[in-house]
Amino acid sequence: MKWIKKCPTLTILVILGLLFTIIGIVGRFTVYADQEYDPLKAPVLSVMFTGINDDIYPWQIFTGKSSEAMAQSTEGNETDDTLQEVPASTEIPIKEQEESTIQEPSVSANSVSANSVSDNKIDGKEEEIPLERLKPLRESTHEEYLNHISADIYGDAGVVRAAAYTFDTVDASYFDDALFIGDSRTVGLRDYTDLSEHADFYCETSLTIYKVLEENFKGLGTIQDALANKDYGKIYLMVGINELGRGTTEDFMEQYTLVVDTLHQMEPEAKIFIQGNMRVSGKKNSGDAIFNNSNINARNNAIATLADNQQFFYIDVNEVVCDEEGNLAEDYTFDQIHLLGVYNDLWKQFLMTHGVLD
Amino acid sequence: MVSFSSLEFLFRFLPIFLIAYFVVPAKYREIMLLIGSLVFYAVGEPVFLLLLILATVMNYYMGMKAWELGEGYTVQPWRLQKRKQIVIAAVVIDVLILAAFKCLSAFVDTALLPLGISFYIFKMISFQADILRGEIWNKPKFKYVALYFTMFPQVVSGPIMRYNEGEFDLDRTCGLEQFEDGLKYFILGLGMKVLLADRLAILWNDLQMIGFQSISTPLAWLGAAGYSLRLYFDFWGYSLMASGLMVMLGYDFIENFNHPYASKSISEFYRRWHVTLGSWFRDYVYIPLGGSRCDKKRIALNLAVVWLLTGIWHGNGFNYVIWGVVLGIMIILEKLVYGKYLQKIPILGNLYVLALIPLTWVVFAITDLKQLGIYFGRLFPLFGDAGIAVNQQDIFKYLSNYGIYLVAGIILCIPAVSGFYEKHRKNPVVIVLLAIVFWLSVYFLSSSAGNPFMYLNF
Repeated sequence: MKWIKKCPTLTILVILGLLFTIIGIVGRFTVYADQEYDPLKAPVLSVMFTGINDDIYPWQIFTGKSSEAMAQSTEGNETDDTLQEVPASTEIPIKEQEESTIQEPSVSANSVSANSVSDNKIDGKEEEIPLERLKPLRESTHEEYLNHISADIYGDAGVVRAAAYTFDTVDASYFDDALFIGDSRTVGLRDYTDLSEHADFYCETSLTIYKVLEENFKGLGTIQDALANKDYGKIYLMVGINELGRGTTEDFMEQYTLVVDTLHQMEPEAKIFIQGNMRVSGKKNSGDAIFNNSNINARNNAIATLADNQQFFYIDVNEVVCDEEGNLAEDYTFDQIHLLGVYNDLWKQFLMTHGVLD
Repeated sequence: MVSFSSLEFLFRFLPIFLIAYFVVPAKYREIMLLIGSLVFYAVGEPVFLLLLILATVMNYYMGMKAWELGEGYTVQPWRLQKRKQIVIAAVVIDVLILAAFKCLSAFVDTALLPLGISFYIFKMISFQADILRGEIWNKPKFKYVALYFTMFPQVVSGPIMRYNEGEFDLDRTCGLEQFEDGLKYFILGLGMKVLLADRLAILWNDLQMIGFQSISTPLAWLGAAGYSLRLYFDFWGYSLMASGLMVMLGYDFIENFNHPYASKSISEFYRRWHVTLGSWFRDYVYIPLGGSRCDKKRIALNLAVVWLLTGIWHGNGFNYVIWGVVLGIMIILEKLVYGKYLQKIPILGNLYVLALIPLTWVVFAITDLKQLGIYFGRLFPLFGDAGIAVNQQDIFKYLSNYGIYLVAGIILCIPAVSGFYEKHRKNPVVIVLLAIVFWLSVYFLSSSAGNPFMYLNF
């Protein structure tokens, strides 16, 4: 009692500390099982806080996992969990969508040679038959998953195929019916070029492919609202860096496919521009186990395979912002990840030379 | 672990150390603190621990030689002379050690700057000078001197306590109430660092990310204000944590900040900002040079020396020299020309400080002189280059993102808020608020792994 009277602050801290430790220990076996934790560096109670940061709250120990928690644990086949979330928010018959995606005929992995690419496609504009979606060459290994390595399971076949398309040069009015969806990189494009005078931007720092369809963009509403309010002719998407540390290339690709197909279904006339994620600088690349260009390239290679060069196009701004080694040019960035405000113009110019005219 | 606002320190080092410190009999506590401090330093800088130990032994040995020459009822002049020579030699060696490592880090590799060297060398110099001046009354024991130089709450970033303030010879009482008071200071400091300074640091990072050439003039001023608050809460928060730890261990509270932003002149600002550094320069540089008791030219020279050294002490870039020189010029002008008007006319002095200090912090913040020029061009667009790709609306975005931290920071700059806390610190509501501040800080530390930029989302 003397303690409590003389040291109330210490007493409260110790009691709460013990409580949070118990939650952390119990949570390690249940809802926080997927939280990374190093006992040498942090107390076990910290998993509760990292969990809260990912919207997994302590009371879910008793009530079961949240849908977000399910989406977090992306190991293995959790397709159903992820997909079940979406119909409610998008009101799109995703189940059929999923089946069509899965049953879609695909070029077998081995047949994607340079020859088959050239057979399929010489000039996108003349091509009547949309390109087929490619299948992965292999599966990600468990070791790659554990080490947050995004496996390059598709190779560059999709990128090569998509690049064969001849894009048109357009003027700024081309973007009058364009919708840009993206993370903080796209925020830079919105804030530091005049594209926002033409196009609509639904972008937010820390956006991930898992949140795109549900996100309520500050003051704007959801993507669904955007598509309901206006007929867009083009939808540009650059999302994928924030979730680099999460799940495998397969998990990411599955969700990405779902998103682009949902967008297509909601706005069938719109051309969807899948933008390869911008790489990071050489300095960041060499010092970061997750946010590095090997992981970015692997995921870009994956999403590039979605391009059919009719409704879905793949474009890669890295062509104009990277140095000879393929890293984001040091001069264009301060934080090794984002373009300095002034260099967003390179991106805008790139987009203006990568238009698709009917 | 050497950062107090890290999970390793808060949940690994500190609890283990505190249990060990209070479990051992009172007479072994200094030894326990010394061991704890060496372990703390070794974890942060295993290699340079040797330098700290060597400098400690050297300073103790020379200090004791000087001390012994001053002992006795009648001291012959030759002994005094010799004592002075030994002290000067020790100070010169200390300065050379500091200068050598500063040069190595400036010209070879920044990793060659030993942890906390600027602070512990200043303590060593003050120890020698205090012996010469007869301000250390009892002959210091080695364990006390070693403890004074190496104690973990102060070894990394101060405060630069004086040997006497440690009151090493007294019997130390470590009451529960004192521990509670120290803990509260520590939590306040932790909150300032993690909840305010680290959040505001992201604002500055954002401006760098955009590129200074593309920020609007209002955002440039917001950035300067944000950086000024960030630096303040970073360092005040750190100092409160350090002094809070000292109080928990049974030592006196060392004040390092006394509401500097409420000052009415730059010289007053620096009597209230990093108080222990300012008083160190006053006692060991300014006054020995003659202080204010000389003609105007000499006063100006004395101040110029102090502020040039202050600039150099703060960092390796040339911008720190400019920063020190600019402050020196302003303080000389205040002392000799317009200082009296600032004091006489109410509000004028406050406005003068609040307008100029953030500008000096911009000089402090930007090490690249070209970038510094661009930033000032954005602050004063009439005199500088026009920006490139400037988004004129950017201020609204950053106000909405960081406004809450700026407002909270400004409120905490008001001296009456501290007075209110001191008055009500035992109120249960205040205690609950402190507990919230602590756990909220732990939340931020957990979710950002101690580095606000590390898991910053893109």
